[in-house]
Amino acid sequence: MNLPDYNFLSTPLWLITILQILTLTLHLTAMNFLVGGIIVVLWGRLTDRWQTPAVQSLARMLPTATAATITLGVAPLLFVQLVYPRHVYSASIVSAWFWLMIPVAVAVAYYLFYGASFAKNALKRPTLFYTIAGICLLYVSFVYSSVFSMAEHPADVKELYASSQSGLVINSNLSDYVFRWLHILLAAPVVGGFAAGLIGRDDPTAFSVGKKLLLWGMIGTSVFGLFYLLTLGDILAPFMRSPGIWILVPGILLAFAGLHFYFKRRFVPSGLALLASVLAMVTSRHYLRLIHLYYDPRALTIAMPSWTVTPQWSVFVLFLILIVIAILALIWLLRMVFSNRGASQGE
Amino acid sequence: MYYPFWDTSLSYGMLMAVISILHVFISHFAIGGGLYLVITETFARKRNDQAMLDYLQRLSKFFLLVTLVLGALSGVAIWFIIGLLNPSATEVLIHHFVWAWAIEWTFFVIEIAAAIVYYYGWQRMSARDHLAIGWVYFGAAWLSLFVINGIITFMLTPGAWTATGNIWDGFFNPTFWPSLFYRTGICVLLAGLYAMVVAARSKDVSLKARTARRNAAFGLIGLAIVVPTFFWYWQAIPGDLIANAQETMPATMRTIWESYLYIVLLVLVLILYGLVMPKRLNMVVAVVLMAAGLGYFGSFEFFRESVRKPYVITDYMYGNTLEVAKTAEYREGGYLAGIEFRTGDDGADLFRHVCRHCHTLDGYKPLLPAFEGVDREFIASMVRGSEAMKGNMPPFMGSSGEALMIGEYLHGRTDNRHLSEIYDVEGVQLGQKVYEVRCGRCHEIGGYNDKSESLIGLDDEDYLDLLDMAGEFADEMPDFTGDDEERAALIEFLKTIGKEQGGAL
Ligand code: HEC
Ligand code: HEC
Repeated sequence: MNLPDYNFLSTPLWLITILQILTLTLHLTAMNFLVGGIIVVLWGRLTDRWQTPAVQSLARMLPTATAATITLGVAPLLFVQLVYPRHVYSASIVSAWFWLMIPVAVAVAYYLFYGASFAKNALKRPTLFYTIAGICLLYVSFVYSSVFSMAEHPADVKELYASSQSGLVINSNLSDYVFRWLHILLAAPVVGGFAAGLIGRDDPTAFSVGKKLLLWGMIGTSVFGLFYLLTLGDILAPFMRSPGIWILVPGILLAFAGLHFYFKRRFVPSGLALLASVLAMVTSRHYLRLIHLYYDPRALTIAMPSWTVTPQWSVFVLFLILIVIAILALIWLLRMVFSNRGASQGE
Repeated sequence: MYYPFWDTSLSYGMLMAVISILHVFISHFAIGGGLYLVITETFARKRNDQAMLDYLQRLSKFFLLVTLVLGALSGVAIWFIIGLLNPSATEVLIHHFVWAWAIEWTFFVIEIAAAIVYYYGWQRMSARDHLAIGWVYFGAAWLSLFVINGIITFMLTPGAWTATGNIWDGFFNPTFWPSLFYRTGICVLLAGLYAMVVAARSKDVSLKARTARRNAAFGLIGLAIVVPTFFWYWQAIPGDLIANAQETMPATMRTIWESYLYIVLLVLVLILYGLVMPKRLNMVVAVVLMAAGLGYFGSFEFFRESVRKPYVITDYMYGNTLEVAKTAEYREGGYLAGIEFRTGDDGADLFRHVCRHCHTLDGYKPLLPAFEGVDREFIASMVRGSEAMKGNMPPFMGSSGEALMIGEYLHGRTDNRHLSEIYDVEGVQLGQKVYEVRCGRCHEIGGYNDKSESLIGLDDEDYLDLLDMAGEFADEMPDFTGDDEERAALIEFLKTIGKEQGGAL
């Protein structure tokens, strides 16, 4: 009997790649909001500005931001196996225990956020709660950086696996990913600072703290981004020739535009510019990853693996319809929250 | 065999069971609980029953914490664990069902957002809006079950898909509908049982009685759906799968019948404490109910997992990720050529990829104790004949050389003393041990593939002949490679078969 083959794609790769990039952008933005939010909230605790409305509302938003980060992370996790087939899964097996602890660490952080937000002001130790939650999330981001950068070097994955099969191996090539980890991590104060400024726009202190975070975060992330670029070595030249660079440059400009608009207190263009900047960074990162995996130095091109496409358009169209419905449902839910908010105050 | 193999001392089966049981319980509860909340809220609003509304709000806080956090994260954890334990099967599922999963994700997004707004809306929203959001939550949660049910049932009964490769054939497979109804019943049941636990804590006796009655109704309706749909589900599984499971895993199959005791218990207690004397409901009763419900559902999931053995995707991929479609390739070229991630120890690599998915060395379902006191060649022939052993194992499709490497690997790690020394036995008792180790795994006396009939009433000569030509009875059956002492003891033992049990043993 001829059994169905599974080495095929059910829609063209570019479609899956676009969705992967879009959802990953949203996931990273939510994650940065979350980590940035912790920074702001901890700052509020340590400078006895805990009661500031901006800090309080950020603290209340952390559980929901966690839910959003998780939900938005599920989709790219699904697509990653098609966009960079097998590489990420293999690398995750090498670091299996660290990988498996990711959902556990997120669960701990999640409960700490709820614990802190339910207990409100009665809680004696929110500082401790937020600190532990922050450490959990640092752990998660570090393991992700470590595994995803290992996945870019299939030969390293093999070597690390040969050294131990216990799943207790962590990517030892630290210089390869420590800068990119710091680069993405320092985007957190940027997003957190933006959020603090936006929420506390009528509170001069909140706005100026937001400004500081945004500025220093931007400086930090730029410096580490540059370091990261410089540590690329052999890959740098092909990257400079690839579309990746043409997306990276506007991405950097957009980030500074975001900063500029924030200073002008124009939050909508600032937020959009920052979001577009993340999108550009994720896209250019995608090219970098393709170069790592598939660059052919002799032909000077990226030799992508070829796939048979056996389309499942009916299912895909259903998905498109449902994603539109989901977006409408989200809008409807938000309107419910806002339209009822006035009512409750009147009661 | 493309992927590296995570060699942790823990059993894969256990790791998988812990995470999936947690997730399966919570996710079904999340659906039924949503239904419970909106229906009960509707009634309470109509009657303006403030005590009931307060109770519901308490319920929904816990509901949020359990379903939203643990439900979502245990779901993510399942993704992580299947990617680690069976990346190949995950790969198959992703290639075929990526858009089904993407669709499930859209429902997941709505479900999570609606759950949050529903909880925060208790104080802040009009009754109508709040209820509408509750219904949206339940609808989205149930639809995500609808989608995931297609993929889970596909793994057990891929049906026409194995011939057509069409995703709709795979999705709406033979057990899709019965499983969907069955699981919906489970959702309703678990919600009722869970609400019992919350009701039992209530100090307001009249509220307790009202809620207990409603909860019991939920539980009983759930059971009324579960019982008939289970039979429907059972009927929908191809007969050869069931027959095979019954032959090779009779104990597992018996547990499904024993699980009906749970149902009887649930019905009796729900009627007694829900309908007859709801005011007497207390925590002990509620916890017993919950435990019985989870016990029942757990045994169903165990049954479903077991029936699928030795496959992970029936007729398509074995539990150790070997592909049915590649049978010829394995038989010709062996396994090693296909193992991408090598460690330098071929025996270990082979052992991991061929046996380790289901066994450990010395933990759960351990293989070292199973091969104490035997020789390398014997282990190798057991590897080659693993399909014939009790336990429903995949066929060995590699080369004899590879079987020998696995034999060497295990032999080098296990206790190589003589059986008589390890167990401190001789004579008939030693013979019995030899039988257990060298024959019993394929021929259980009075059980699986029993050969007693052919072994009774022979003389010494016949027995010696039989053992000499053991390897010729079947491809899977090993040569007798024990030493003369073991051979003599085994014959002593064989002579006792069929005689008074007590005397011989
Ligand atoms: C798909 C899962 C699976 C795979 C793969 C598998 N087994 Fe098993 N094996 C089982 C099950 C289930 C049992 C029954 C265990 C029980 O009853 O506790 C079993 C039982 C055994 C037993 C009897 C154990 C005892 O203590 O009586 C031996 C020996 C054994 N397997 C060897 C092997 C070897 C060698 C391999 C690799 C060539 C292998 N198995 C691969 C599932 C598997
Ligand atoms: C790895 C599995 C395996 C082991 C171990 C094994 N057998 Fe068998 N045996 C088989 C298979 C397979 C057959 C032939 C097919 C069948 O009837 O199930 C068979 C057939 C037989 C038969 C033939 C029965 C008949 O009436 O044709 C006898 C007798 C027998 N085995 C005895 C033994 C004895 C004694 C031992 C231990 C020394 C032993 N077997 C070990 C798998 C095994």
